Amino acid sequence: MIDRMREVFTAIQAWIFEAAVQPVMFSLGLMAYAEDAYEGLGMAMVGVIEIAVLVALFKPLEAWRPVEQWAEKRAVRTDVIYTWLNRLGVLPLAIFLLLVIPVNELEIWLRMHGIVRPNIEDVMPWIERNSIGAFLIYLLLLDFVEYWVHRGQHQLNWWWALHSLHHSQRQMTFWADDRNHLLDDVITSAAVAVAALIIGVPSGQFFLIIIAGRMIESLSHANARVSFGWLGERLLVSPKFHRAHHAIGVGHEGAYRGCNFAVLFPLWDIVFRTANFQSAYEPTGIRDQLQGRDYGIGFWRQQWLGLVRLKASFRGAS
Amino acid sequence: MFNKIKYLRNFAVIALLAVANVWAQQAQQGVAFVLNSNDDTMSLIDTRTYKEISRERVGREPHHVMLTPDGKSLIVGSVQSHDLMFYDPVTGKFQKRIDKIIDPYQLAFSHDRKWFVTAALALDRVDIYSADDYKLVKRIVTRSGPSHLVFSTDNRHVFVTLQHTNNIAIIDLIDQKLVATVPVGKQPAGIWITPDDKHVLVGVMGEDFVAVVDWRARKVVQRIRTGAGAHNFIPMGDRKRILVTNRAANTVSIIDMDTFKVLETFRVPGGPDCMELTADGKELWVTSRWIQKVTVIDMDTKKIKTQIPVGRSPHGIFFNHHAPRF
Ligand SMILES: [Zn+2]
Ligand SMILES: [Zn+2]
Repeated sequence: MIDRMREVFTAIQAWIFEAAVQPVMFSLGLMAYAEDAYEGLGMAMVGVIEIAVLVALFKPLEAWRPVEQWAEKRAVRTDVIYTWLNRLGVLPLAIFLLLVIPVNELEIWLRMHGIVRPNIEDVMPWIERNSIGAFLIYLLLLDFVEYWVHRGQHQLNWWWALHSLHHSQRQMTFWADDRNHLLDDVITSAAVAVAALIIGVPSGQFFLIIIAGRMIESLSHANARVSFGWLGERLLVSPKFHRAHHAIGVGHEGAYRGCNFAVLFPLWDIVFRTANFQSAYEPTGIRDQLQGRDYGIGFWRQQWLGLVRLKASFRGAS
Repeated sequence: MFNKIKYLRNFAVIALLAVANVWAQQAQQGVAFVLNSNDDTMSLIDTRTYKEISRERVGREPHHVMLTPDGKSLIVGSVQSHDLMFYDPVTGKFQKRIDKIIDPYQLAFSHDRKWFVTAALALDRVDIYSADDYKLVKRIVTRSGPSHLVFSTDNRHVFVTLQHTNNIAIIDLIDQKLVATVPVGKQPAGIWITPDDKHVLVGVMGEDFVAVVDWRARKVVQRIRTGAGAHNFIPMGDRKRILVTNRAANTVSIIDMDTFKVLETFRVPGGPDCMELTADGKELWVTSRWIQKVTVIDMDTKKIKTQIPVGRSPHGIFFNHHAPRF
């Protein structure tokens, strides 16, 4: 069944690539990047399927056990745009083009100075060719990095000026996962890319698990009363767990300027004592929104106001 | 009674040995290695049944394979995990791993077995290792995108395509330095040398020809039109003909290395990349990257004999009973 689906997927991917993408790359003199384009096309196709699955699974879930109900949903529609831009690969591609040269330069510099990243396979020989073990360790390490990046987003005023856009959604649904300031996307991608350069990247054969990870991240923003149970809540980030991170007065305004920073594994919140398993299903947003602060409803207004806040943060205002 | 058991046991042992022997001989004829560069795996395929026997994890992002000069190991180079993995070229059994080999995109041994050279496509350098112990001897910075490499017959020079900067680099192995770059056309990829040592052939992927370089004069002397996306080579073992894949045109061309004429061009679908030809010249195995298959061509009819599904973005391919490489 899965083999059959993969076969159909590959046939379509190859057909689109040979009919539309490769001829363009050839005429533009970009054949050296044909493999990357082929992969990018695959990712975009996966993105479309992902969005279909998100809608098919989480729409009914949100209808079944909603935390909140709204009459006007314009705010949610903007999040839909963010999601499409991300999953179709428009944003990832732009960020990749922006980062590929500096990251490559950094890699060359490290090599020239004799700094060679230790592979997990070098440190733990037993893991050599044990793919699942190596993959899980990479996933945990990258999640660890994302945990600290996320803490930085809340701790540093200039970074919060950008990240607050993600938190300004008071109508939080599964679409909200990709709602970020573009500059914030660039910075977090750069941080993760550098981390990946140092600790390595998990094996490409696990893209299904990586997609599952993205599904968990979308689910964690769903407008749904869903908890994974006592043990499950501690193993994987749930809608209940991440809602506490977005909750007014509990999340950013709480101790450590936030709780429940983890992206996939609550383990890191438990280890660094930032976990909050108590909070129930509170309203989401940022406290100053209650006093009328505007974070924008439409895409461009949100991006612009983010830059305005960033500028103000450098002058010492919060 | 005791004797009878002993006799039976001996008989069983002999029978087993005979079976094992036959099996070993068949295995010798029998395993093709295919690197799935985006899955980090290697497919082992039975060349008689055309069935995938197993799929094993190798390093991260493997691209090319190379046989050691003693023929005892097949090396898989992986660019993301910066390592070489060694396998038995007949059975596919894992032997060992060498780490800290930086970005070994393409790899080759000099004919005198002295040097092991790698082209680092992502990091813009060519690394020269001692072939005995794989210790780095010299690192040569090149212009962007060193991709494929080949040695001159006397082992004095190594020629490297520079995929992002449209040149080939000529490196002197005695002085261990870059001596020249020769412009050849957009995005040069595969490279080979003619048996008379006079010309270097370059698959010019961004265009539709193979460039013939008089490497001593350091210039392109002829362009052989083969098809869009001319890519990689494999000689046919008769010191005369060589095959080239045309990636965008989805074809393979046969070139006469004496006259530099295209003898024949035939269809191979799915973005043909690396090739392997059986010693009897009857079957051509090609990795079809975009459709994630190995395409087997019947060389009598030039038609597709079968296609074998493998992993994502299949690239390097090898089997032991291949046509001689000159
Ligand atoms: Zn946050
Ligand atoms: Zn969130």
